[in-house]
Amino acid sequence: MPEGLLQAEDVTVRFGGVVALDSVDLEVPSGQIVGLIGPNGAGKTTLFNVLSGVIEPNGGRVLLGGTDVTRWPTHRRGRAGIARTFQRLELFDRLTVYDNLLAAWEGVTPGAVLGRHKSEGRARVAEVIESLDLGALATRLAGTLPTGQARLVELARAIVTAPRVLLLDEPSSGLDDVETSWFAQVLGQVAGARDGEPAVLLVEHDMSLVMEVCAEITVLDFGQRIAHGPPEQIRNDPRVIEAYLGAEIEPEGSAIEPEGAIAP
Amino acid sequence: MSSLWPFFVIGLFSGSVYALASMGIVLTYRTSGVFNFAYGAVAMFCAFTYWQFRDGWHLPEWISLLLVLLVVAPVVGFVSDRLYRPLVGVSTEVQIVVSLGILAFFEAGVPLAFGGRTRAIQSIFPISTFGVGSILRVSWAQLATFLLTAILALGLYVLLRHTRFGMASRAVIDNRDLAGLLGVNATAVGRTSWVISSVFAGLVGILLSPSQGLQVYVLVTVVIYAFAPAVLGRLVSLPLAYAGGMGLGVLQSVLQRWGASGTVADIEAAFPYLALFVLLVVYGKRLTEVRSGVKPVIGASVMSPLLMSRQKLLTSGGLVALGLFALPVLLRGPDLGDVTAGLIYAAIALTLVVLVGWAGQISLAQFSFVGIGAFMAGHFAGAHGSNFLWAALLAAAIAVPVGLLVGLPSLRLSGLYLALATMAFALLMDNLVFPRTDVSGGYTGMSVPRPRIFGISFASTTSFYELCVVLLVLFGVAALAVQRSAVGRRLKMMRDSPLAASTFGVNLTTTKLVVFALAGAAAAFAGAFDGAWHLTVSPSNYTFAQSLELLLLVVLGGRSLVAGALLAGFTYTTQLLPIPTEIEKFIPITIALGVVSVAAVPEGSVALTVKQFWAALDNFRRLPGSPMPAALALDARGANGAQLERGANGAQLQRGANGAQLQHGAQQHQGANSAGSDGRDGAAVYPAAALSGRGGESPLGGVAGGVAGSVAGDGSPVEELVATTRGGGGGGDA
Repeated sequence: MPEGLLQAEDVTVRFGGVVALDSVDLEVPSGQIVGLIGPNGAGKTTLFNVLSGVIEPNGGRVLLGGTDVTRWPTHRRGRAGIARTFQRLELFDRLTVYDNLLAAWEGVTPGAVLGRHKSEGRARVAEVIESLDLGALATRLAGTLPTGQARLVELARAIVTAPRVLLLDEPSSGLDDVETSWFAQVLGQVAGARDGEPAVLLVEHDMSLVMEVCAEITVLDFGQRIAHGPPEQIRNDPRVIEAYLGAEIEPEGSAIEPEGAIAP
Repeated sequence: MSSLWPFFVIGLFSGSVYALASMGIVLTYRTSGVFNFAYGAVAMFCAFTYWQFRDGWHLPEWISLLLVLLVVAPVVGFVSDRLYRPLVGVSTEVQIVVSLGILAFFEAGVPLAFGGRTRAIQSIFPISTFGVGSILRVSWAQLATFLLTAILALGLYVLLRHTRFGMASRAVIDNRDLAGLLGVNATAVGRTSWVISSVFAGLVGILLSPSQGLQVYVLVTVVIYAFAPAVLGRLVSLPLAYAGGMGLGVLQSVLQRWGASGTVADIEAAFPYLALFVLLVVYGKRLTEVRSGVKPVIGASVMSPLLMSRQKLLTSGGLVALGLFALPVLLRGPDLGDVTAGLIYAAIALTLVVLVGWAGQISLAQFSFVGIGAFMAGHFAGAHGSNFLWAALLAAAIAVPVGLLVGLPSLRLSGLYLALATMAFALLMDNLVFPRTDVSGGYTGMSVPRPRIFGISFASTTSFYELCVVLLVLFGVAALAVQRSAVGRRLKMMRDSPLAASTFGVNLTTTKLVVFALAGAAAAFAGAFDGAWHLTVSPSNYTFAQSLELLLLVVLGGRSLVAGALLAGFTYTTQLLPIPTEIEKFIPITIALGVVSVAAVPEGSVALTVKQFWAALDNFRRLPGSPMPAALALDARGANGAQLERGANGAQLQRGANGAQLQHGAQQHQGANSAGSDGRDGAAVYPAAALSGRGGESPLGGVAGGVAGSVAGDGSPVEELVATTRGGGGGGDA
């Protein structure tokens, strides 16, 4: 098995009698953007929650840089370098954009809550704000931002913590085409920028975005991993096409109605 | 064992009434997501109206009964529905506060309308008894109540299982967003539920009052008993609520068999609160709130943190402190004493600002901590107050583990359930801990000396006043330091999104426990001073009712601002000052109404007033007297960068403004000819929409919106736009 920066091994999650994840493996190697796709209810969000520590799995392990973090609570994983964004935006609505970033940095930096490393934190926030061109929004309250800008701020808030792994949960939902392509561009710049970190795991419904930015794609269906490989391979995998993708990735888009095949 | 039967029968009677109340509470919670803290108050109001019809105006009993149950109660239900419906999407915190505000409204309003004296009310069923077996006697009233409740419960069950209304109601509980899409009329379901619930409340009031006496507070308290069975059914199950109510009544009554006095009697009174607390903690995370999945749209003004610049802050803070130190020149004697009480109150309010406003943890038990401080000072401050400081510090130290105890439920509960748990805790302290003579000196109370600190006596009114100014300044400076520090940001992270906070390294467990413990400790420290102000303190000074009033005053003042706590202290003082009774008696109801109207605004009336002042000033500058065309005037405002940005904040506003821009773009050009058409029109639209959108967020704010509309003036398209946007925004949270 290839050594990933973040790995899920044999992860199983049951909700009552329902098996949400059935012995799923996943590797996110350094410097790569890995896509995680599958129809609704396939277990993507569950796997995401297992990786970030919101749900404890019934079986299997989660490894970060080779360390078993399966039993670690969410906040400890955050400090160890797992950062994420949320499909349903979870900004600190009544803080300014600047304070959202600063608070996140303080959250993962030991001693910062006691007032240490103040200038270091402010410098880091300023750097990220500049690199993502958020200067105009810095004094706005996060809860007042339109979706597109809010998604960008969520990304900035994750980046500011200098994570080892970045988990992105449907970052393009609610964005228009222009915003999505801008997002893809930013993502390309961010991934692996520091010695192969952060590695990125991307859950996404927008197929063209996934195909464009991901080096590897893992496909889940009914809680099981049904395929894994580079985009071209996924594009032509009959199981994947059957399970999920349908006409959307057919070269001519001839076979199936694209709308009907993809769950909204 | 046969001697248990009479208690069993009494238990079935009171249990029936609890069951009725529980079902009423559950019914509206399932369909609207609002927990009706004011349920007991509605019952009380209905009982008073019944008395008024029957005994006040001497209407026949059956007519009075029909009037209350078919007219008064349904109208209350109808009004409640109108009031709560817009709150479906907003935060639980706001719902809780509005509901508590309505509770306060009835508690203040009923004595105004009916006079406060206790009344005897006759049972609607005959109270003559009949024998069952050799020793047991049952009254017809008890039997009839039991049967009536059982029939109503069964009827409700059938209604919810086998009718269209029932199906619609269950669809709304499962997923109210989806139900709406499937054509279920959630509005009608909600309205019907509120009306039925309200009629149940009326019955509860009429059935309970003969045995409890018709008093403002008694019914409210007794109905709180019904919260436990409601929680037993996790606020959604009617059969469990019914069974829980019956069980609670019987258990409570059977406990009476052993304890006419002593520990068992205490436990009997506190049993429903204990049950509530234990149920909440045991259910823990399995309790889920009935919420809409749609994220509420929050307007810009509701969001505004209004943090002042450091310089402004130092200036205004310094001025307030100076003014307070100079006040004894103007005020003397009792009046100065009343202001002293306000200072202490403001310090206590600050601890709640930290807890509720910043950390987002609703507490209805803060005065229990104040009580700990006061009683500790009574025990340990020494005859002349020479150990006062040490007693206050000791109280703070004791409050830490107690704070951890209150904080424990917060690890598994949030929002509504946390509020209920802190409420149960406060009521347990009221009933089990504070009445003990070794704690508080019992109902006669204990004396607390004025402090003597480092050899200086603060016994005189003026010196004690000055000491309390120092106390408030210390608390204020500490709070401001926290607000702007990494600690303050950490609390607000937890408030705004616990999920994201933990993702970014915040240990929620530690943070919650620490904030509960420290807020409790600070309240206890201030409580020692409160005790010294009273000179004699008894359990009645530190009850759940005081905690509730504190929360309401802090909400009114502004729960996320230090200035909000100051305003809470100020409002508290006005109630003490010697003002004419004709005015004074309207203060509580004014406060209650104020709370309901500003509940959605985290900065309370402080910021709202400031904002409206500026809005009005801006509008005044642009009143029709000036020849400037409306659009140009607005444009001038738009040119001010800061204002434009603030105005354009809310997602709601932008949506409104954008849509409107498209619709009215062409007209705008015509209307604004003199303003030129060099692309400034768009900018002109924003501030107008901003003003009116802001108006949508609170009933009071509507005034500002209205003014903006009229300012735009004589039939210009801008006015039309304002009206459109206001309609859209108002639907959200007005």
